[in-house]
Amino acid sequence: MIVFQKVSKTYPGGVKAVCNLLMEVAEGEILVLLGTSGCGKTTTLKMVNRLIEPTAGHIFVQDVDIMAQDPIELRRKIGYAIQDIGLFPHMTVTENISAVPRLLKWSRERISERVDKLLTMVGLKPEEFRNRYPAQLSGGQRQRIGVARALAADPPIILMDEPFGALDPITREQLQNEFIELESQMKKTILFVTHDVFEAVKMGDRIALLDAGRLQQVATPAELVENPANEFVDDFLGQHRFQLSLLTRTIKAIMPGAISESPVSDTTRLKVFLRARSSLIEALDMFKKSKRAILPVYDGKQFLGNLKKDTLLKVISQVLGETGET
Amino acid sequence: MSVLLSFFQKLGPEMVQRTYEHIYLTFIAMVIAVFIALPVGIYLARTRWPKLTSAILGIAGVIQTVPSLALIALIVIIFALVGLPSIGTLPAIVALVLYALLPILRNTYTSIRQIEPSIIEVATGMGMKPHQILFSVELPLSLPVIMAGIRISAVWTIGIATLVGLIGAGGLGNLIIKGLRSIQVDYLLAGTLPAAALALIFDWALGSLEKWLTPKSIRART
Repeated sequence: MIVFQKVSKTYPGGVKAVCNLLMEVAEGEILVLLGTSGCGKTTTLKMVNRLIEPTAGHIFVQDVDIMAQDPIELRRKIGYAIQDIGLFPHMTVTENISAVPRLLKWSRERISERVDKLLTMVGLKPEEFRNRYPAQLSGGQRQRIGVARALAADPPIILMDEPFGALDPITREQLQNEFIELESQMKKTILFVTHDVFEAVKMGDRIALLDAGRLQQVATPAELVENPANEFVDDFLGQHRFQLSLLTRTIKAIMPGAISESPVSDTTRLKVFLRARSSLIEALDMFKKSKRAILPVYDGKQFLGNLKKDTLLKVISQVLGETGET
Repeated sequence: MSVLLSFFQKLGPEMVQRTYEHIYLTFIAMVIAVFIALPVGIYLARTRWPKLTSAILGIAGVIQTVPSLALIALIVIIFALVGLPSIGTLPAIVALVLYALLPILRNTYTSIRQIEPSIIEVATGMGMKPHQILFSVELPLSLPVIMAGIRISAVWTIGIATLVGLIGAGGLGNLIIKGLRSIQVDYLLAGTLPAAALALIFDWALGSLEKWLTPKSIRART
């Protein structure tokens, strides 16, 4: 969907923001660009919609070199959401969301239908929020509008630059969860910039870790945590290794050893259950909430077996041993 | 009562005539000033030559510091040298326009420059063309400040327009000059009071227009 072919960006004065980037973003995936500030992640993002133009190499969006496309046309088919949100303060929620559809000259009916649908999607009541101004919204609501605006014209690709960065931790987590849920229905191709390794692990199908403009490793969160490609990656994850392992390891991954063979009938009637795709942390949470010592594990609708809380705790202490944390 | 009555009988028609001239001069000068300063201000806000910006704002600032009487005299001399009519409406309007430029120019420039960069970035990133960004984002957001500049200009211009009576351009200045020369208080009052009233009325009217044009959502901020 998006291909970076030996892309470099050197600013006047010789600062190399991005260096020889070779990477591909697959259709329908969330690829997180992770790194400290100044690592080139935002520059990489902005090169995709030509807000910044590369000094070397080629970027292909849907198989077409972006430099061969009209930047205006290109940008209109790429959603864009940023940390400062950039809502137009003089426009209502409706006008903000419909900015791109209006540029594309959609009919009035189609626009108002789309705005209502998007507001519902991001969890805001259309009748209540349609005619409000940004100044009348909370930070979380503004960010939701920012996301809705990026989705407005149903672009196949969305660029997000720390879209949840300015929010308090609770609102932030809520929006992350909602966005993951939303994305699972839409299957957009998303390039997502963050400096927060936990957000990266949570949001990303794959993570591209950058340092000083160079790509260090691009891999799934689990791979990144378990098999760091070099010392930098190892150091970057360093102190968070234990927590990240619990976040990236799924119940499925610790199977089959951990799944007990106790009678099926005991647990299949329970309403609480674990998903095979859930992380160890989520499993632990579920045990805590349900106050049970044993829970069934399902992969979709298929019953896989039972997991004992004791077994889970044992695995967790193993992870603790492996990651060398105390 | 009879004092007032005789005052109006004596000076009423001339007051009306001079007030009309005064408004005419101010209005023409303001229209021209807005037509020059607004586009130039927009251009300066978007140009990549900061030197040009500081040069033009500098020139406008220098014009402002020249005492108005001296500026009018200067224009008369320059016009006489290049063979243009050195008295009457033309040099008067040129002087008024030069004076009115700075506040509009400066306010246009600064208000556009002060828009949060993230807003412009998003507008660009979503595929707005430069003129779309100008008309649907930059200008609506800067309108209150631009209007404030126009308002300051208008009030100044009304004041300075009392001086162009000296070069035969008419206006309420004529009455004041007459009053000064012959030490007649009624002439002085007939020139001064309408000029003050005009300034107040223009200030109020443009202020209301400014409020009306300000988007509801950003009213609290300005």
